[in-house]
Amino acid sequence: MIPEYLIRAVLASIMVSVLLGLLSPLINTKGLAFLTHAIFHSLLFGAVLGMILGLIFGNMGLVMAVALLVTITIVLLIAHLEKLGFTPDSAVGIVASFVAGLTVLGFGVLYKVMASRPYFPLSESIVSYLTGEMFLITLSDLAVLVVGGTILFFIMLFLYRDFLYLSFDPEGMESYGGNVRAYLMVLYVLVGAIGALIVQTVGLITLQVVAVLPGAIALMVSSDIRKVIGVSLFLTLGVQLSSVVLAYFTDIPPSGIATIMLGVIYGALLFRR
Amino acid sequence: MTAVAARDLTILYDGEVVLEGVTFELEEGETLLLLGPNGAGKTTLLRTIACFHREYRGELRVFGKPPCDARELIGYVPQSHSLNERVPLTALEVVAMGGIYKKGFSHFKIPREILEKAEEVLDFVGLAHIKDRLFRELSGGQKQRVLLARALISDPKLLLLDEPLSALDPSARAEVSNVLGKIKSERGITTVITTHDINPLLEIGDKVMLINRKLIAFGRPEEVLRDSVIKSVYGPLARVIPVGDRLFCITGDFHIHRHGGGSR
Repeated sequence: MIPEYLIRAVLASIMVSVLLGLLSPLINTKGLAFLTHAIFHSLLFGAVLGMILGLIFGNMGLVMAVALLVTITIVLLIAHLEKLGFTPDSAVGIVASFVAGLTVLGFGVLYKVMASRPYFPLSESIVSYLTGEMFLITLSDLAVLVVGGTILFFIMLFLYRDFLYLSFDPEGMESYGGNVRAYLMVLYVLVGAIGALIVQTVGLITLQVVAVLPGAIALMVSSDIRKVIGVSLFLTLGVQLSSVVLAYFTDIPPSGIATIMLGVIYGALLFRR
Repeated sequence: MTAVAARDLTILYDGEVVLEGVTFELEEGETLLLLGPNGAGKTTLLRTIACFHREYRGELRVFGKPPCDARELIGYVPQSHSLNERVPLTALEVVAMGGIYKKGFSHFKIPREILEKAEEVLDFVGLAHIKDRLFRELSGGQKQRVLLARALISDPKLLLLDEPLSALDPSARAEVSNVLGKIKSERGITTVITTHDINPLLEIGDKVMLINRKLIAFGRPEEVLRDSVIKSVYGPLARVIPVGDRLFCITGDFHIHRHGGGSR
């Protein structure tokens, strides 16, 4: 008999893999690794803010909503700074420094709020944001992940070619009538929304690695975009599923196993070159 | 009809003047060669005409309209090394990019009519046989021709080319020059070309503009390419040598492109 939590973890892994498998080549071709890093940190700030508000209003369901809202606000701010003429790295640098500072301040406030409230296992929630808790996913978490993930998947799929053109030559795109700003905003919001949706299953510490490495590996082994997406999808799926199975037998957090596996594959390919 | 007209045009970056006092008119069907040393303002002028840069004083009209209202009439060809070649696009996909943004926001699939037209313009630039090859695997001359095809697919009335011959070997320069000649003779599109080396393009140039942060000279090639004018910009070693009915311009200017972009 397969435990129900394992089935939920496998289903969540499949959804996470589909989203990251498709997103990862875009992160690599558009050069968004630094931005992704900032976005995922803003998720932590959003989550801390959500926990403070959740404790104050007695509704911990606010955590994901606030994290999503904060992340989207931050990516829109980064996109706006880029529009004002800052380079992507400068825009991320400016915003990320504020986000990092606010996160630390947020933790200070959170501890004070926690101390003033009856005991609630909130520190476990914070840890699950950092390391991911695939086996603690509830049925309602899974439902949100599947419904939200499906919507994001189709938006990404239908705009995939436009995102590739945006990465290839944004000026050319603009000169031929494409709305570069709108595509950039949608892409950034997608990265932020996917991050917010999967952060509790993958974990902030490992999120960037599993978002960047599958695409990087796929681009190393193929130059046909369809094959790149295929490799990225199957690699993410394979790594996520095997990490769940290994974690089940070894009691090691699956996100740690997935990250190490990706690192080994990437390193092996680099050495082979 | 006047294709591009500028009257006392001054272009600024963050309030600082980078090119001033430019007045000229380019008639429909003419080809303008825009010459000047590094930092003279060639690309800035081209990007202002293309509506990428909007900080300017004076008057600038493209087919009677402000540049940003005339965008659909313009085909812009950037320097090929400014593109992100990590994106694995085929030559055909790159060309199709020039045609799909006239309608719709999502372009999951390239429409059949755009693909057919992309093949047609690739054939026009002599590259029908490489349509399925990756853009990044093409030679410098082939990349430039693919970018020309991408501009042609939208049936522009004005082509703006930024250094189309830079970083190309002599045979690739000849390939691109031939295609530019074909565009002029068969399509009659008004064209503005920035260049460091004017000699391979002189055959197709109706007008030459020499700038160096201001307008130095504008007119027919034989009017502009005179020793005294060239020396005033490039120094005493610059010369114009007439050979038969042709002119050769020796400016001593050169342009080295570093791998991965940038120039000096």
